[in-house]
Amino acid sequence: MKHIKTLTTRDVKESMKKGGCGECQTSCQSACKTSCTVGNQSCEKAR
Amino acid sequence: MIHQYVSNGYNIVLDVNSGCVHVVDEITYRVIPLVEEALAQNTEGIGNLAAYAAGRLSESSEEPVEALALQEVIGEILELKEAGMLYTEDIYEQYIDEFKNRGTVVKALCLHIAHDCNLACQYCFAQEGEYHGRKALMSFEVGRKALDFLVASSGSRVNLEVDFFGGEPLLNWQVVKDLVAYGRSLEEPHHKKFRFTLTTNGVLLNDEILEFANKEMANIVLSIDGRKKIHDLMRPHRGGQGSYDEVVPKYKKVAESRNQMNYYVRGTFTRNNLDFAEDVRHLADEGFEQISVEPVVAADTEAYALREEDIPAILAEYDKLALEYIRRKKEGKGFNFFHFMIDLEGGPCVAKRLSGCGSGTEYLAVTPWGDFYPCHQFVGQEEFLMGNVDEGIIRTDIRDTFKRCNVYAKEKCRDCFAKFYCSGGCAANAYHFSGSIDGAYDLGCELQKKRVECAIMIKAALADEEKEKTL
Repeated sequence: MKHIKTLTTRDVKESMKKGGCGECQTSCQSACKTSCTVGNQSCEKAR
Repeated sequence: MIHQYVSNGYNIVLDVNSGCVHVVDEITYRVIPLVEEALAQNTEGIGNLAAYAAGRLSESSEEPVEALALQEVIGEILELKEAGMLYTEDIYEQYIDEFKNRGTVVKALCLHIAHDCNLACQYCFAQEGEYHGRKALMSFEVGRKALDFLVASSGSRVNLEVDFFGGEPLLNWQVVKDLVAYGRSLEEPHHKKFRFTLTTNGVLLNDEILEFANKEMANIVLSIDGRKKIHDLMRPHRGGQGSYDEVVPKYKKVAESRNQMNYYVRGTFTRNNLDFAEDVRHLADEGFEQISVEPVVAADTEAYALREEDIPAILAEYDKLALEYIRRKKEGKGFNFFHFMIDLEGGPCVAKRLSGCGSGTEYLAVTPWGDFYPCHQFVGQEEFLMGNVDEGIIRTDIRDTFKRCNVYAKEKCRDCFAKFYCSGGCAANAYHFSGSIDGAYDLGCELQKKRVECAIMIKAALADEEKEKTL
């Protein structure tokens, strides 16, 4: 495309099909203990 | 739903519901919201959309857009729409409801191994370790029961997380070691894998502790606020003397011995250091590559609490830090800043993104005497006492309230672009500032949104760098 560059991203919709296994890290078990940050966490299946 | 913003010269369009990130030229940046408007009015076809956009653009004082270019831009926009990468609908609410209604399992515990501390940090939400209560150390017996409860309550989850927290957990180190050994003994028979983590102020760190931690702890969080004068002001000993000089050499040893991975130097910024980018820079200059410096959460009555009027300065500081972050990455001297890290390609699934932090359900805090609270930040608030290691969860009503808490239960989150990155934010902060876990901590939200914007811009800038390298 000439006007638009798209960064590679995970298809969030697609993750409805196979997501939700719950094996990933709980957000407060990382560096945070005072906010909730999930966007920086990795999917356990993608490790 | 789209969210668009300009940062560091990049025109960024986030398609919120698909998670797609587009970096666009100026014409496209102007046209994208107009096409969304037109589509909402059932305008169809490239010609009609172009006519609508041209009409709306002519109302603006900005430079007119050539008809051909306009058609070309709209063609690209429609191509992305067809591919499900732009103007994507929010189709997740029912899915998240169903997800949250699944059987509850517990997969993470925050063990308050010591309600006591050898520092007297001014901003401590644990009240110098005592959490509005009494000094106490967790016994091995209580910890053992907590781990048994975790294994028994974790259903088919394999990965279980246990954070040794305080107060200062190194004040009760032998129990930490014994509980790690006990946890390991449970792994094989129960088909579980424990991930232990440690959060410490560093004062009691020594070689023996480090050796054990490097063998057993998946992550170590090391508290430090940045520059010496900032750190010593907020993190003194009970006698008033600072703790910077004694912890920094130890932290360097931790970082190096863990090959600069699986640890964080973790600080808190307050109204005393609204120039916190300098503290992050300082930590990076000291050789730390995993850095987290986070805004203090404190009642308005505290002099160091962040105020609404501080928001513009804090946002500008995040911008400044983002530029420094990119510059250092490009120079090969990069570091990770926890709140700027974002995993666009392999990030969490939508269930994780929208279902909330898990407090009160899959994550619980355990006091030294074995009481359960929804998370470490609720400890000491008796109305949130949920049960204990002997009887399990007694107040299932509290658990169910937390279970229902997700971004769709929060009015302020529904239309927020950042909901896919913060999962509705911290329930404790929401409760303490709005009176409800379904409310919002407005100041925190403003900062969170800015951090998400910076994190995405950084990805765009680093992608640009990659592209330049391959040309």
